[in-house]
Parts: sequence; structure tokens; C-alpha cells
Amino acid sequence: MMNTLRQHAEQLFAHELDELQKADTRQRPTNWNLSPWAVATYLLGGRLDNGFEVSAKYIGNRRVIEIAVATLVTDRALLLYGVPGTAKSWVSEHLAAAISGDSTRLVQGTAGTSEEQMRYGWNYALLLSKGPSKEALVPSPLMKAMSDGRIARVEELTRIPADVQDTLITILSEKTLPIPELSSEAQANRGFNVIATANNRDKGVNELSSALKRRFNTVVLPVPATEAEEIAIVTKRVGEMGKALELPSEPPALKEVRRIVQVFRELRDGQTADGKTKLKQPTGTMSTAEAISVLNSGIALAAHFGDGTLRAGDVAAGLVGAIIKDPVQDVVVWKEYLETVVKERDDWKDLYRACREVI
Amino acid sequence: MTHLFGIRHHGPGCARSLIRALEDLSPDCILIEGPPEAEAVLASAIHAEIEPPVALLLYCPDDTKKASFYPFAEFSPEWQAIRFGLTRSVPVRFMDLPQAHDLALRDEPSMAVDPSDRTDQSDQAEADDISGDPLDWLGRAAGYGDGETWWNQMVEERRDADSAGLFAAIQEAMTSVRAEIPRKLPPQSQQREALREAHMRKTIRQAEKDGFQKIAVVCGAWHVPALATMPSAKADNDLLKGLPKVKVAATWAPWTYGRLAAASGYGAGVLSPGWYEFLWKNQAAEASQRSIAWISKVARLMREEDIDCSSAHVIEAARLSDALAAMRERPAAGLDEINESIRTVICMGEDAPLKLIRARLIVGEKLGRVPPDVPTVPLQQDLEKQQRSLRLKPEALAKELDLDLRNENDLSRSHLLHRLKLLGIQWGEVRGTGRSAKGTFHEVWQLQWQPEFAVAIIEACRWGHTISDAATALAIDQAQQAESLPALSALVDRVLLAHLPHAVEPVTRALENLAAIAGDASQLLEAIPPLANIFRYGNVRQTDASLVGHVLDGLVTRACISLGGACASLDDDAAAAMRKRIIATHQAIKLIGNESHLADWMPALTRLAMLGGTHGLVCGLAARLLFDEKTEDADATATRMSQALSIGNDPAPAAAWLEGFLHQSGMVLLHDDRLWQTLDAWLASLIDESFIRILPLVRRTFSLFPGTERTQLGARAKHSGAASPAVQTAVTVEWNEARAQKPLAVLEKILGLNS
Repeated sequence: MMNTLRQHAEQLFAHELDELQKADTRQRPTNWNLSPWAVATYLLGGRLDNGFEVSAKYIGNRRVIEIAVATLVTDRALLLYGVPGTAKSWVSEHLAAAISGDSTRLVQGTAGTSEEQMRYGWNYALLLSKGPSKEALVPSPLMKAMSDGRIARVEELTRIPADVQDTLITILSEKTLPIPELSSEAQANRGFNVIATANNRDKGVNELSSALKRRFNTVVLPVPATEAEEIAIVTKRVGEMGKALELPSEPPALKEVRRIVQVFRELRDGQTADGKTKLKQPTGTMSTAEAISVLNSGIALAAHFGDGTLRAGDVAAGLVGAIIKDPVQDVVVWKEYLETVVKERDDWKDLYRACREVI
Repeated sequence: MTHLFGIRHHGPGCARSLIRALEDLSPDCILIEGPPEAEAVLASAIHAEIEPPVALLLYCPDDTKKASFYPFAEFSPEWQAIRFGLTRSVPVRFMDLPQAHDLALRDEPSMAVDPSDRTDQSDQAEADDISGDPLDWLGRAAGYGDGETWWNQMVEERRDADSAGLFAAIQEAMTSVRAEIPRKLPPQSQQREALREAHMRKTIRQAEKDGFQKIAVVCGAWHVPALATMPSAKADNDLLKGLPKVKVAATWAPWTYGRLAAASGYGAGVLSPGWYEFLWKNQAAEASQRSIAWISKVARLMREEDIDCSSAHVIEAARLSDALAAMRERPAAGLDEINESIRTVICMGEDAPLKLIRARLIVGEKLGRVPPDVPTVPLQQDLEKQQRSLRLKPEALAKELDLDLRNENDLSRSHLLHRLKLLGIQWGEVRGTGRSAKGTFHEVWQLQWQPEFAVAIIEACRWGHTISDAATALAIDQAQQAESLPALSALVDRVLLAHLPHAVEPVTRALENLAAIAGDASQLLEAIPPLANIFRYGNVRQTDASLVGHVLDGLVTRACISLGGACASLDDDAAAAMRKRIIATHQAIKLIGNESHLADWMPALTRLAMLGGTHGLVCGLAARLLFDEKTEDADATATRMSQALSIGNDPAPAAAWLEGFLHQSGMVLLHDDRLWQTLDAWLASLIDESFIRILPLVRRTFSLFPGTERTQLGARAKHSGAASPAVQTAVTVEWNEARAQKPLAVLEKILGLNS
């Protein structure tokens, strides 16, 4: 058990879910483990009446989570949308864990996702020996969720081929899944719903049909709103991951975290933190997740090849790699940023020199 | 008996409750928080042609910069109270501190308001009221994020009919806020507030003395506690004694919802005038019906803009907003819930359509109207004053005006005309004659006054009270909305012509911002030379040169970085255009004479000069500029030349290279000895075979030169390597003595030599 590299949300936070369930006296929709209010509290953190402290799973705008939960209450499906690295899958996992106590009814969307994975497959041995029957049917996670009245998750919806995506239309509007082979159908029980995630950078890969779009409520997960918020997220995650990877280095100095976060924010927003200078934006997404990985690789470098203290030189290579995704456009963007912004800042001289060396 | 009604300015819920309360009370006198001077024009409020939003405009005729606006929308409680009184012939009085004092106090050093927190010309009186802090405190105490949401929920969007209870509750809430939380105001604002409230009390006492029995007092909720307890009349009178005074005139001006919204920097504005108007008009509807009606409005707008929005969308959005309201434990969905559900259901989570909804519905685009017989606005007066002092009469007949800009009066006239042009009042049109790009001291205008300008002036008065203020504000606004560099540099030019020193900084800043994100390097290059001129020659009158310098720093750095990319894969036409830009930029950078610019620019040119990266013309030009600046010595240049013109290259690019290198002119070869030597040495070094092959290229380039230049070049070549003076003597022409004698007589006459 302890050797599991990553535990499911409902295992990791079983204790919190338990406490919430005990304290939660509000009305629960059918087949929900918690009331909508308690689900929001589970994600956003807070103190219960009995003094129990629920940790925050999502640091950011409270309203986003409220809208997501309210959507699931209205039995409309929820589509979490946003640039890569904005915690879409994270939120989806925790919502499913809080509402259904189980986040494993999951369909991973890929270019190769087939209709069987969305609907049902067959146990061919049984099918051949006994013919089509309920026993020979292998239900998909979606179908299981329908009969259990639970939440199902579809990851990376837009990666799924369009014809397979459309399987969802009947499920979402009629709340039923026809099984023509058995002349029957599987009807969804109350409490069933779908949380899908998609990233808007891959727009046009397999754009949702408007029929399907209409069946989803779309919630865009924003990039962190303030610098302080983002620094908090990055520091927290870098600390957690460093422990997991058993890096011998010191935890990163807040100064370095702040600088990296600032670089990412400024390039992402297309202007400097003081709002005085506009900047070109690189083609990459500059997500918080990437900032975290830049710091992590910097720490690894410092630990294994340096003296264990994170310095500008250790992050420079990772930084340039994270920013320059397009060898022509991004180089111009990065050079302009270096020459007009980084160079001007007195206490950033080391970063400037380190970055100049890398490109 | 005095009845106090604390309201929020422009709150529809307040207005509704107020009317109901007034009907119950049927007062014999109504006192409203407003400037007493405006009572003279108050009758216009029930004029058939007036259409809110409108604003009462109080200004000082001697100094039109001093002015205050008191805007009203249809749903403003004060507006409803005024109309209530006027239509029932109940005396309506304004009780705020007279603007005669208020405007005068702005000049007092002890009372001067920090210009930075004076939100343009908007009215300070309103800005200080209950907006901001007090509401936020109450809202936060009630567990809301901000005061706005809380107040909307509790007052503006509520539907029950107990108006007396509402006003009592407001009074109680404000009393406790004022008692509990010391408001942190700068001393001058505090002093002003004391004066205003003293004057309100004084007016109330006067009304009581006049024998009115049922006095209704309508004022900002914040002031209610101060009016509920009356200190002695003497204290107030002492406070109000000896205040400075200025002359004040009042009139009505049309207003817009955009200006009413806080977004435009108007202190006591409301965030959502359009939504408030909707609430006002749908006061009878059920809360759930109300949100459906609003979402349907949104749906219609979406369809007009070709965004998919079906009835199913409306239904789902309404359901979600109800669910959200329930989750947040609110009785009905408010604007926040509705907006969020619209974003989630209709807009696919995107923000752009919401911005449209915000601009068109939530704020709204309504423009008010005032009756034609209201007195003129200060902008008009300022214009008339200037027309008199500059002796420029508005005439309907087109007429030409030649201005000599060295003359002070003419210069001011030019400024005025340019400013009016910026404001969209096309009184004059510059005729091109007598004016080159660099600007001579003559400017020829065609003047024609159109009657429609009167309307344009009234519209422009929202930008400011004087021509120069209004033009400045408008230019800044335009700069913030401009989307292309050429448009912005044109604006910089117009701002300079109109002599608006305060607009220069924001406009150049906008230019800088746009330059930063401009992907097109040629635009950057084009922006450098005019700015360099301004920087070097101080064309910007009274402008901080360092400001332009800073913009230039950024422009040059960016141009240098992106120069290489911009010069890749050019066709002949594009290369010719680029050549001009590079030459202009090169001259500009030399003009500025900043070492760090050159340190960026020369390496950029060196990269260009590398063969194969770009069009031959540009490549040759870069090599030449490097040679001229002595960044590269003659040997390096000779190497470049022989590389570019070697046999392996296609003839066309090679010829273009030579053309670029020689700047398309042979004159330089005649006068620049180094260049001549280098070219000559290269040519002489060719072996016979190469020479014969290269000959067509060289011929092609030289054939572009004028005949006389070719003759001179040939002559110089004969004297191989001779210096420049030798060249001039080397030009030998056969003179025909007899014919040369003939014109001499006439020439003598012309020059007056024999008289």
C-alpha cells in the first residue's frame, strides 16, 4: 500500500471525507455522499463546526468551484476547460471523490479511444459459447456509473475522435444507453453525471459537435489570479514533489520561487508585473505546472551537481526550455524579455547572465 | 415633522421604495441632496423633451475648469423625487453645500483635493458619499465578498413592499457604521463633509421655519445619521460663516450610461446601470421571472451577434442560476449568479461574449437628451471665448485662412483648430499647400462652420470643460483604444500639432505598449525616425525628452532583435521598401547618438550583411553601412564584395547586392575615396576570365546611374586612384568660346553689373 506511487483522492483524503460526512447536515441530492455545500468545502478547504480543519485542494477562485458543483446538482454534465496545467483533472478527481466517494470510474480520452470503451464491450469467449447475454456484456466505467448512480469522468474529451464523442449525446440527454444486441437498455440512476476535461490549447483537434457542447456546462479553470496565489501553489507543490522524489536539496528559497513565478506570469499575461510594460507572449502555455517543473529540475540540478542551494544558473536551462517551444518566434519573445525587462532589474543580474549563457 | 430617506444614488430599489414612501407621506416640501444653484433650471426636469440619463452641470463661468456634474438616471431616487415634487407642485429644494462655496474651496490650499484622486471632472460630492468603504464593511459583516453585491441583494433587488422598514433599516445600519468605524478620510475631505452636512441641516431648519409640516429629506444613506440628530443652529452657522465664493451657473447636459458606470472612473457611479434600469422597469415581476427575462434579453443579443443561443440555453442558464443562488443561500439569483450561469451555459466558459453583454446590456449604451432651451455648456463658452480672443469668427461660408506659425496669435489659432479637429469638430481642413512633411511655418486652412457643430460640442462636453482639456482627454482615450502603430504615431503627431502637453505622455506610453507586442518589425522601424526627430530637435514643446527617449530605447532594442527575421525572404518590392526603412532608421539612430543603440544596431546590421540570409539589396546595403561606419575595414568589405559578386552566385541577387551597396547612385563612388579604392582594388584583382563573367553584373548596376555620373566615373578610372579634387579637374569639356560669349550681355543686365 505504501509503495503505491500515487493514491486516489478518496484514499488520500479519506479522513477528511469522513469528517465532512459526519458534520454535514444539509440536504444531499440522491446518491450524493455529501451535500453540495460540503463538496465545495472539501475542495476549497475550511473549518467545520466541530473544529476539524479541511485542507484546500484547489487554491483559487471560490466561484469556479461553486459553479462546478451547482452544475452537477442541475444534472447537466460538467466540462472543465482550460490551458494545460490548471488543475482540471485534479478538480475532476476530487469532485468525483467527494460526491461519489470513488474517482476511478474513468475513461481516458485518446485518439484511439473506441466506442466500446465509452459504451460496453463483450467477453468474447462467453459471447461465442452462449450467445449475447447480460453476462457476456462488459460494461464501460460510464455504464457502471449510470447503474450505480455515480459520477463518471472522461479525461481529455477533445482527444477522442468525433464519432466516438457523440456516443455521449444519448447518455447525457436521454440518460440511457441502448443495448440493441439484447434489445434492452441501461438506464441511468439518480446521481449519475459526467465530468469531462478538455484543454483549449488543442482546439480543433476534435472540436466538440454543437449538439454535444450544448449538453455540457463549461467551466473554465483560470490561471492563478494573483502572484501570491501562484507562489503559494508552486511552493506547496514543489515541496510535496521534492519529498516524493527524495531530492536531497534544501527547499527552494522563496526568492527564487518568486522570480520564476514572476517570469511565468509576466510572459503569460503579456505585461510586466507593475503593468507598465507590454510584452510579447510566447507560443507555450506558461502554466503553473510548468513553473513547478522548472523549479523541480532546478532543485535536482542543484542537488546532484551543485552544492544543494538553488541558484539562478540551475533554473536558467529549465526556464529557457519551458519558454522556447517554437525555435523562431519564441526566441524573439524571450530575447526581448531578457533585454528589456530582466536586464533592467538590478537584483536580477545573476538570472540575466545565466540566461544569456544558455541561449 | 421631518422624514429622512437615506438612499443610494442611482439605486432602483431605493427609488421604488422612495416613491412608495412619498406617496404614503404626501409631503408638503421635498429636500434633496443637490446643489441649491440648480433650482433655477430644475423645471426642465419635467420638460417633455428631457430624457435621462442627464446631468446637472454646475460650473464657474469665469473658469470653466471648475465644474461639477450631478448625473441622474431614470431610476435615480433623486430624479424620481424631483419629478414627484414638480408634477404635484410640491416645493422641491436642494440642500447640499452650494457649489459657489464648494468650487471656490477647491482653490483653497487647505482644501485642495489631490489631483490624482480627483476623478477627472466628475463630482467630488458624489464620490465621497456612501460608495466604497461603508458598504463594504456592512457587506463583509453580512458574509458577502463586497458591499456592492450585498447592497444589490438587500436593497436594489428585493421585492417586498415595506418601504418604511427599509429606510429605518438603512438609517440604523448607517448609524452603527458611522459610530463603529472611524472613516479614514484625508482632513480636507472630512472638513468638506462637515460643511455639507451643516448646510443640509441649515436647509432643513429653514424649511421648518417656513412652516412646512411634512418635510421629506432625500439624501445619501451615509448622511442620514448626521441629519437625524440636530446640533444647535449656531454651531452650523458658525461653521458655514465666511466661506469663499465664486460665481456659479447651472445647466443640464446629456449623460450616458457608460459615464454613469463606475468603470469610467466616476466616483459614485454604479457598476450596472443597464441592469438597474431593467430592475426598475420590471419591478413587479417575480424574481425567477426576472432572471428569465434578463437571460432572454441576453439571448437576443447573442443571436444578433451570431452567437448560438437557443431557448434550451436560456432554460439551462436559468436553472443553473437558481441552483447557484440556492447553494449560496440567497433568496433569488442576482446579477452575479446570472452572469456566471450565462458564461457557463451559453458562452462555453469564455469571457469575450460576457464583455459584450457587459457593454451592451449591463452597462448599456443609452445617451440622454436635454431640451434645446437649456443654457449653454461651458465647453461652448470656452470656445466662444477663444474665438473672440483669437478673432476667428464662425462663418457658414467657406473661407481660406493662411496662418504664419511664427506669429503667436496664428500659432494659437492653429492649436485651436487642431484641437477641434481632434474633438471631431471639423471646422477647418488643412490644405496641403505651403506645408511639407517637415512642416514649414505656414499652414493654410479652409474654414467652414456647420450648425451641427453645436451638437458635437454638447457631446464633446463629457470630455472636459475647456477645449484643451476635452481634446486631451479624448486623445488619451483614443490612444488607449488604438490598435495599430501607424494610427498611434499619427495620433502623436496630432497631439503635438494641437499642443496638448498633458496628452503626450499617455499617448507615447500607449505607443510604447503597442510597439512591445507588435510582431511586424517594419512597423517598428517606421516608428523610429519620427520619434528620433522629436527626441533630437525637441519638436515636442515642453515635453520631457526622457519620456520619448525611453520609448525609443525600447523600440530600437526590439527593432534590432527582430530585424533579421523581418528581412528574411523579401521579394524585390518588399526589399526596396525595407531598404528605405533601414536607411531611415540608420540615420535616426545616428541622430540620437546613443552608444547603446549603436551597440545593438551594428551587430544587427552585421547579421544582415551575411550573405544568403536576405535579399541582395538589403544585404549589400548592410555591408555598405558597416563600411561607412568603419565597423568593418576595407579588407573585410572587399571580402564581402567578392563573395557577393563571385561566379557561383546567380546574377540577379549579385546585381541587387551591388545596387544596394552603392545606394543606387554613383555619386558616392566619386566622392568617397575609400569606397572607390575598395571597389577599384577588387575589380583590378579579378583575373581576365572572372572579369568577363562578372562584367554583365557590373554593367547592369552601372547602367542605372545617370549618364553624367558614368562619364565622371570613367574619367576618374582613367586617372586610376587619383583623389577627389583631381576628379573635378579631370572633367574636361570642349568650350565654344563664341557661343559662350553670347549670354554674357544679358547676364550682366540681370545682375545689374553695368549700371
